[in-house]
Amino acid sequence: MKAYTVEIVIENKPAARDPEGETIHRDLILKGGYVNVKAVRTGKYLRMTIEANSPWEAERLAFEMCNSLRIYNPVAHVYRIKVLE
Amino acid sequence: MVSSKLRKVPEGVSLTSKEVAWIRRKLGREPNPVEWGMFDIMYSEHCSYKSSRPVLKILPSKGPRVIVGPGYDSGIVDLGDGYVAAFKVESHNHPSAIEPYNGAATGIGGIVRDILCVGARPVALLDSLRFGSLQSPHSRWLFRYVVKGIADYGNCIGVPTVAGEVEFDRSFEKNCLVNVACVGIAKKEDIILAEFKHPGDIIVLVGGSTGRDGIHGVTFASKTLSEESEADRPAVQIGDPFMKKLLIEAVLEALKTGFVSGVKDLGGGGLTCATSEMSAKGGVGVEINLDRVHVREAEMNAYELMLSESQERMLFAVKPEGLKTVLEVFEKYEIPYSVLGKVVEGGLLKADFKGETVVNVPAELVARAPVIRRKARKPPAVQEKLKASKPSQPENLQKAFLELLSSQNIASREWVYRQYDHEVGVRTVVKPGDGDAAVLRLIDVPKAVAVTFDANSRHSALDPFNGHAGALAEAARNLVCVGAEPLAYTDCCNFGNPEKPEVFWQFKQGIEGLALMSKGLKIPCVGGNVSFYNEDEETGLAVKPTTTIVMVGLIEKLDHITSMGLKEAGDALIMVGTTLPEMGGSEYYHEILKFDGGEPPKASVRKEKATIKTVLKAIRKGFVKAAHDCSKGGLAAALAVMAVKGKLGLNVNLERIPSLKIGRLDELLFSESYARVLLEVPKRKVERVLKIASKNGASASQIGEVSDREAFTLKFKGKPVVDCSLSELEEAWLTPLPKALEGTPA
Repeated sequence: MKAYTVEIVIENKPAARDPEGETIHRDLILKGGYVNVKAVRTGKYLRMTIEANSPWEAERLAFEMCNSLRIYNPVAHVYRIKVLE
Repeated sequence: MVSSKLRKVPEGVSLTSKEVAWIRRKLGREPNPVEWGMFDIMYSEHCSYKSSRPVLKILPSKGPRVIVGPGYDSGIVDLGDGYVAAFKVESHNHPSAIEPYNGAATGIGGIVRDILCVGARPVALLDSLRFGSLQSPHSRWLFRYVVKGIADYGNCIGVPTVAGEVEFDRSFEKNCLVNVACVGIAKKEDIILAEFKHPGDIIVLVGGSTGRDGIHGVTFASKTLSEESEADRPAVQIGDPFMKKLLIEAVLEALKTGFVSGVKDLGGGGLTCATSEMSAKGGVGVEINLDRVHVREAEMNAYELMLSESQERMLFAVKPEGLKTVLEVFEKYEIPYSVLGKVVEGGLLKADFKGETVVNVPAELVARAPVIRRKARKPPAVQEKLKASKPSQPENLQKAFLELLSSQNIASREWVYRQYDHEVGVRTVVKPGDGDAAVLRLIDVPKAVAVTFDANSRHSALDPFNGHAGALAEAARNLVCVGAEPLAYTDCCNFGNPEKPEVFWQFKQGIEGLALMSKGLKIPCVGGNVSFYNEDEETGLAVKPTTTIVMVGLIEKLDHITSMGLKEAGDALIMVGTTLPEMGGSEYYHEILKFDGGEPPKASVRKEKATIKTVLKAIRKGFVKAAHDCSKGGLAAALAVMAVKGKLGLNVNLERIPSLKIGRLDELLFSESYARVLLEVPKRKVERVLKIASKNGASASQIGEVSDREAFTLKFKGKPVVDCSLSELEEAWLTPLPKALEGTPA
């Protein structure tokens, strides 16, 4: 067994709105003069240390957990899992 | 003979073959895909009320206090002194069943916009919630997040959540009911209606940008929930309460300019619904350019622009000379807007996109779907249930009583309402849980508005006619218990699939019951909402027929405001109204005896009138210190709540309770007969109150008194039936919800 660092990023579905991101973009970034910034999406970031036999097993565990424990909301969110060494 | 070609339903359209033939014939040509999409959405049950309209017509909608009745964004009643109250109820069942947090939050968002649309400031929110059993993890998850969604959104926009109800029943396991209501206050001269009236007016789309979210949300609400709903899920909306708060202030300020001639919120059906309904109402047409819609996603096509249900949007008709002034208001609040087009003569709804006319149909044809006359048939099983023989009485009635107090439908709702900000706006005089209805004071006049939210699905399941009539009467009773005169109500009907004759029978019976009580008590209906298809497709199980009633009343003098907690030892307890052995659908049968048969209470206009008049008169004379109506859990539960709320004990002699045909003690304690109210009255006023009752034809008697001992004692002919301490009552009544919901995984 080896310890893997697994990143999980959860954000609203692409078609769904993100009021927090919109507010940061409109009221902070654009008003601060950073007009090159065209969009902001916020999300939730989880970094886990998972013991597993392979990176695939670590990923599978993270996947299973996200779904069975409702770490993300399948209706409103999308998520990405990335296994780092 | 209609040719089969005329009746062929285009792919992806959920209209019936009759409807498509009707549209083709009326239009005289084949609609294009955008137009089909518009008909599809507007002819859905949710937008068109095509099944319910012919039935709802029987509800009385006129009265001296009614300013705006059914058919507009909210009903409006006259409060006198130049003030009006606007109120509206809406269901958000389907979105909440799929995604409880955002579903409930956007439900609040929508209802607030309905109040804004008539030019009123939203001052109070109410919610009526129904879930499956608390034992089910799924129901707990829905319950927890629906409450959180309401709390987060309501608290952010600064509108207090002041009242509501929660019921648990297995029929709501897959289909929870989330009914939300909003009350607004306005000066009479500030009222505005959702109509396009004057050709030449400029049409402005205001608020959130348009995206692909929620396209076909209402056609989704007009279907039963199935496993496929998982794939349908893009229909879920994300609420944006801070945008809403800005929108509230901007809209009210824009209306103050005097240049706005009509406003409507964009809810179900989006731009299609708002433009067609406003044109049809005003008998005019409209021309818009879809290129001008402010969007947040690239490459949106005309179909998506016309049908999107993105949140926080409103449509304004503005007088041309005032356009600049109105737009400056939106700019001040940094609310995005786009000038879409104008109101025109004639009745055509025309939309251009990328240099082409993509929509060109009569607004009336889009906005008014032909009604469908549904068949109604009484389900045979009901009769058997009513006639089922009575279960026997348990030996230990005290144990049964305490169990009933802690059952999920009777236990204190504090866990729910303490999550809500119910004080913001400084109008809330009677707070959640303290009275039978919430009381909000008017700021400039020494008067107050009372508002309540009621339904009874368990009685209605056995007898929809009497159950509905009883729910309406209960709402009226709740209002008089806080010292208010009922003015008007609005109803939210939640039923299964209306295409099933048994479901439609329930609906028809229910509305007939409402009509009877409504006419009898002279309380008109000023609006409403119908949600059908609350049915689990897998099991075919429909929700129990549930029509929630939001009723508004006026308190003429602030001295009349009455709460339900006992106030002083030595006072007398008076029971108004007769108790009958009407046990069917009672919480006692359901929770303690696990029995779902029996005759539920019968509603009587005469009895309700007598009780209501008695209570209101006694309160106005200043004789009443506390008042509480007897509903779920019967007399025993009502007494317990009054004691716990007042932190005072009581002694009651059960043989003194006005009753008829009662043969058993449990019937006396737990019957849910209608038209009954408990009053706390100073000893020296007892005779006066009893006299008022007899003058108004209500049976009443002194049944006991308030005591400063910590004991809650109910005796029958000298023998104690229930004898427990206040702390035992508190333990039973206050703790069940927190216990069920805290510390358990979602």
